[in-house]
Amino acid sequence: MEALQEEWLPLSMTVDRALVNSRVRPRHLLSDVLREHAGAASVHIGCGQGICGACTVVIDGVPARACLMLAVQAEGCRIQTVASLAELEGESVGPQGLTRLQTAFRHHHALQCGFCTPGLLVSTAVFLSRNTAPSRDAIVDHLNGHLCRCTGYANIIAAIESLAK
Amino acid sequence: MTPSPFRYARPRSLEEAVALLHDRPTETRILAGGQSLVPLLAQRILRPRVVLDINHIADLDQIVACHDHIRMGALVRQEQARVSAVVSTEIPGLSQALDWVASPVIRARGTVVGNLVANAPGSELPAVAIALGARFAVRDFAGERLVEATDVLGSGRCLAPDALVTHVLWPRTPGRGGFYEVARRLGAAPVVGAMVSVGTDGARVGLCGVAAVGVACPSVADAIHRRFPDAPATAEIDGLLARDLTEPAFGTEFVGAEYRRRIAPVVIQRAIAIAGASAGADAGSH
Repeated sequence: MEALQEEWLPLSMTVDRALVNSRVRPRHLLSDVLREHAGAASVHIGCGQGICGACTVVIDGVPARACLMLAVQAEGCRIQTVASLAELEGESVGPQGLTRLQTAFRHHHALQCGFCTPGLLVSTAVFLSRNTAPSRDAIVDHLNGHLCRCTGYANIIAAIESLAK
Repeated sequence: MTPSPFRYARPRSLEEAVALLHDRPTETRILAGGQSLVPLLAQRILRPRVVLDINHIADLDQIVACHDHIRMGALVRQEQARVSAVVSTEIPGLSQALDWVASPVIRARGTVVGNLVANAPGSELPAVAIALGARFAVRDFAGERLVEATDVLGSGRCLAPDALVTHVLWPRTPGRGGFYEVARRLGAAPVVGAMVSVGTDGARVGLCGVAAVGVACPSVADAIHRRFPDAPATAEIDGLLARDLTEPAFGTEFVGAEYRRRIAPVVIQRAIAIAGASAGADAGSH
């Protein structure tokens, strides 16, 4: 089998309102490229297999696992990480520089080590924008796909419930 | 974890995709939602030479109600199918099963066809497709044809490497549907899962996790149809399963074959209860 000539492909995407122009290998994962080419260190890489949810970002309005996309697939896409949280919640930040969701997480002690938090926050912001009054069951179903190894689920659920209108 | 090197192709038409696939059939992998493929690439379990991204082919993202079936393109996402009104009315068994597939974020990108053809041991949708008599529209260099889901997903079967599944065709099975599964973790692959679909013309039962592939259980389905919304007794289902389960038993190091076989009747009973309580269009004759 002849050696494969690996190509570089141009990649242009918007990450948290900044235009990112880069060159990537086809095999480069979006999660790595967001961290290394776009400076988005909040995109945490946990399992790298789509199970833990720590790398969840919002792509063209839809939450997705950055580790389950090739970077080249993000060509022309608008990507929002936790740095765009206020925008995702559709409001400006509060007096302490925190959004409603961040304030609720803080108030309910819904994070400990914080590794799962960025992915959890962005996907919860989209979840709440679609379901303004989710039931506890709906919240639990939403949390399926976000692993918290500090096992802070009870507090995370309480934080989200406190925002359910 | 970064995949091995591969060339990336982004065809704009089915003709172009099929031609690229024809070039290097065994060395090419098709990328749709990527939720099964990318982890296998990242762990280097798969090392294809070419990744064929079909996401830019037009019209494959449609759910179309045809005369006697519902046709879904290869880019229809699991979430899109899950919330579709036509799917919930015409294929309630599938609609209910989709609630149990993976997690919401994965379902938003993962496709129905991709989940089917990945045919992971024990996974939900292949069992549903086999039990409901789904068919695949398949394209290769020679042209287009329809194949039964069983002939692709059944034991010892697979798709020719140069064939591209463009659509899945679901027969209309209106009535009530239920799905239930026992899993080690919410969103993980089921230990055992059962789909029950009951319409005026009969019932259909699909079981996953008991064999390595999905199985239809016609004898159990007949018994359910006679009594629905009541469920046959555990022992009766157990006896009928002995007739329906012709595939070799399946077990893993965590959950053995004996346990899976033993809980199957109860999983089926729970799926019957969910179907009975569902708000589907009424089966009419009952």
